[in-house]
Amino acid sequence: MEFTSILFYVFALYFIGSAVLMVTSRNTIKAAMFLILSFFSVASLWLLLEAEFLAITLILVYVGAVMVLFLFVIKMLDIDKSTVRAKFTKYLPLGIVVSVVVISQMVLVLSAGQFDLDNSMGPVRHAADFSNISQLANDLYTLYVYPFELAAVLLLTAIIAAITLVHRKEGRSKKQNIAEQISVQAADRVRLVSSSPSKSKESK
Amino acid sequence: MENTYLTIVLAPLIGAIIVGLAGNRLGRTLSHSIAILGVTVSTVLALYVFNHHVLEGAGVFNENIYTWMQVGGLNMSVGFLVDNLTSVMLLVVSFISLMVHIYTIGYMQEDEGYTKFFSYISLFTFAMFMLVISNNFMQLFFGWEAVGLVSYLLIGFWHHKESAVEASLKAFLVNRVGDFGFLLGIAVLLMFFGSLDYVEVFTLASQVNGQTMFGDISVITVICLLLFVGAMGKSAQVPLHVWLPGSMEGPTPISALIHAATMVTAGIFMVSRMSPIFELSDVALTVVMVVGAITAIFMGLLGIVQNDIKRVVAYSTLSQLGYMTVALGVSAYSVAIFHLMTHAFFKALLFLAAGSVIVALHHEQDIRKMGDLRKKMPITYITSLIGTLALIGFPGFAGFYSKDMIIEAVHFSNLPFADWVYYAVVLGVFITAFYSLRMFFIVFHGESRVDQHTEEHVHETALSITVPLIVLAIPSVIIGYLTIEPMLFTGWLDNSIYIDASEHGSVVALKEHFHSAFGLLQHSIATVPFWMMVGGSLAAWVFSLYRKDWAKRIQERFHRTNYVLESLYGFDRLNEIVFVRGSRKLGDFLWRISDMAIIDQFVVNGSARLMRFMGSVIRPVQTGYLYHYAFFMIIGLMLVLTWVLVVGENPLLFLGS
Amino acid sequence: MIVLSDYLILSAIVFCIGLAGIFINRTNIIMLLMCVELILAAVNTNFIAFSYFGSDIAGQIFVFFILTVAAAEVAIGLAILTLVYRNRGSIDVDVTNSLKG
Repeated sequence: MEFTSILFYVFALYFIGSAVLMVTSRNTIKAAMFLILSFFSVASLWLLLEAEFLAITLILVYVGAVMVLFLFVIKMLDIDKSTVRAKFTKYLPLGIVVSVVVISQMVLVLSAGQFDLDNSMGPVRHAADFSNISQLANDLYTLYVYPFELAAVLLLTAIIAAITLVHRKEGRSKKQNIAEQISVQAADRVRLVSSSPSKSKESK
Repeated sequence: MENTYLTIVLAPLIGAIIVGLAGNRLGRTLSHSIAILGVTVSTVLALYVFNHHVLEGAGVFNENIYTWMQVGGLNMSVGFLVDNLTSVMLLVVSFISLMVHIYTIGYMQEDEGYTKFFSYISLFTFAMFMLVISNNFMQLFFGWEAVGLVSYLLIGFWHHKESAVEASLKAFLVNRVGDFGFLLGIAVLLMFFGSLDYVEVFTLASQVNGQTMFGDISVITVICLLLFVGAMGKSAQVPLHVWLPGSMEGPTPISALIHAATMVTAGIFMVSRMSPIFELSDVALTVVMVVGAITAIFMGLLGIVQNDIKRVVAYSTLSQLGYMTVALGVSAYSVAIFHLMTHAFFKALLFLAAGSVIVALHHEQDIRKMGDLRKKMPITYITSLIGTLALIGFPGFAGFYSKDMIIEAVHFSNLPFADWVYYAVVLGVFITAFYSLRMFFIVFHGESRVDQHTEEHVHETALSITVPLIVLAIPSVIIGYLTIEPMLFTGWLDNSIYIDASEHGSVVALKEHFHSAFGLLQHSIATVPFWMMVGGSLAAWVFSLYRKDWAKRIQERFHRTNYVLESLYGFDRLNEIVFVRGSRKLGDFLWRISDMAIIDQFVVNGSARLMRFMGSVIRPVQTGYLYHYAFFMIIGLMLVLTWVLVVGENPLLFLGS
Repeated sequence: MIVLSDYLILSAIVFCIGLAGIFINRTNIIMLLMCVELILAAVNTNFIAFSYFGSDIAGQIFVFFILTVAAAEVAIGLAILTLVYRNRGSIDVDVTNSLKG
């Protein structure tokens, strides 16, 4: 058993385990944490597959930005835990059935040996100073520069869309006007009224 | 020459348009002058054309003047075919039209629609010209429809009279039935001949002869029968005759112009024009002959019991049209045209004379309120006498020659039923004489049954009325004698009419027996029709003048026959019950069931309801819940995977290689 | 030896776990989005595996773009969620059914 195989099985186990835990957890925060764990195991797997740049990018971008965003929103919104719990067991059997069916179908396809994957596609061993980034960059900025630009535009659009969606108009947020605060008079803040004491017999 | 023909055709049209549009502003005198000028121009030029073609023997003129449209290989155009037949028809139509135009000045004097009337009769003249001068079926049909239309307009001229409006509608509708058959005939003709041009059709006729349709019915027979249906409508043969008596609701000038001399003869003209085709079908010719005989005799019988002066003449027209049709049936086309021509003159004369009497008696039309007018209206009396003598076939007058020729032609024919037809037309002479002289005697002789007040004012009518009477009386006398030989035997109409002499040898036989017009006159005393005429005249004298009470007694004795005759053989009742009520019921049914129930409720509303229903069934699928959508997506994905794996020819299901 | 099919099977398993997660957590929209992230991670693994074993860098480039799009999608999805919360007061599925037919 090679060391890399052992690593593969470990990380695969982590991946599947954290995925299952995430799906079955009733606490949304916990689920987010488990998802982060699964992303870390995915990044490790990618490192095994010699995709170093993308592995690090996954951590930086996905975990660092996207999951943080998730956590922000989870904390910001009020999620009713009761509804989550109530309907959990109702759909579990069906969910298991569906996933089992799909899994078995995919496994069937893959293990049938028809593609002769194991023999036809063998990994290429690179030299020790082989740079994944430069290989990536070589193709990205020459062959695929157009999709690259489009992706940039897509991100720009997403930014604008997101901001526009949640943007509140002026006046909804409170701002300080110092000059106005200093020039305030007592009459703007206090109003004296006369009221008679209560004449109730049962007052204590 | 082309311009001459164009002028003949267009002069009345221009007159009609000017008078029709600006008549009120131009005033009566100017209007009628313009209209009469138009028709005079046509008459003079028609004389010239007649001279050019018939007397000087010029060739046939056949040209397309204006191409209307070309659809596929079919060429529809306005064209003129001027041969001898056309020349004769042009002359007859224009002359009678001119006479009627002049007559109208006096007759319609008191009428409000004076200028409109002139416009209409000029328009009619134009339409009739277009019909006779055409060289293709499309233009013929145009003229056909146009004369029908103007006839409708003129019959209902006094539109405040409900009976007139009904009669005009009846005329138009019955004509429509005929026109429908006509159009079907043209369609079949187009289908098999591929062209609407006369000359092309005639040259192809022998080729198409053998072809059949619907099994083994000869195409030519179908075409001929359908075309004849059109002729039946226009020329008022049984059973499409019902409109002609009703058309007497229109003013008398149009009864003379349209329903005696010109429009009703369009059918006869058409069949003669189509002689190359009709000759190829014995069946069609037999049908033509028999229908004509039925019309001749049964309509004549109806003339005996009529009490309206115009209706007597109307039924007389019907009967004479039957004679012309019989002549067509026995392939004696030139004889039919000959009778058409003589009949045009004396029947127009009789109608105009009747109109003169009506005007003199202040629009009284019932002959039972007339009598002893001969001294008070001498010119009308003499011209009526001439017309009547011509009609009954008194030797020497025009009608004698033409009618005798028809009877002889039938005698020589070898078509089936020819014997019966012979008896019918011979008997018809008796009947014709009877009703004509009955009317004549009751109106002009005997004791006066005229209303007291009117009688004091009775006098001869104005010159504009009597002059046309005199002018028409002249050809009624002499034209038969003058034209019988050239028209029938020395080939005036030879370049227009084709007769298959081997099969239908009537005219040939006629020619053999003919010596001269004078000879016919001499021989007349020996023929059966002569004695039939004498018998009829005598009977008329007896029943109208000698023993008037006998007529009444016979009517009571044979009251059933009398009833049949007076109800006009029940054709009107039949039409009303079957067609009128039937159409109404059909319309009702279509409205209520087909339109409201089926289309509105079932199809329109029903499809809307169906859509609504389907929508209400499908709409709940959109629950609005996101997870439902996700659910369906995943299930769909699963199904697709399963399908790809299982259903397709999938070697992946081979577990283990 | 780890072969390609191992990675593919792993990827398939996690994909189906994600599907099941969508099934199970249907009421919680945040969970839904996170399961979608899980699915995307599995698919990316698939691509990288093919890229490694097939010696074609195109797989990694594709993952690059998938990451981009996924990030954009999450951003906008969460923005919509925030808006829904702001307008309706809760993100319970019962209030988000106004597209109901």
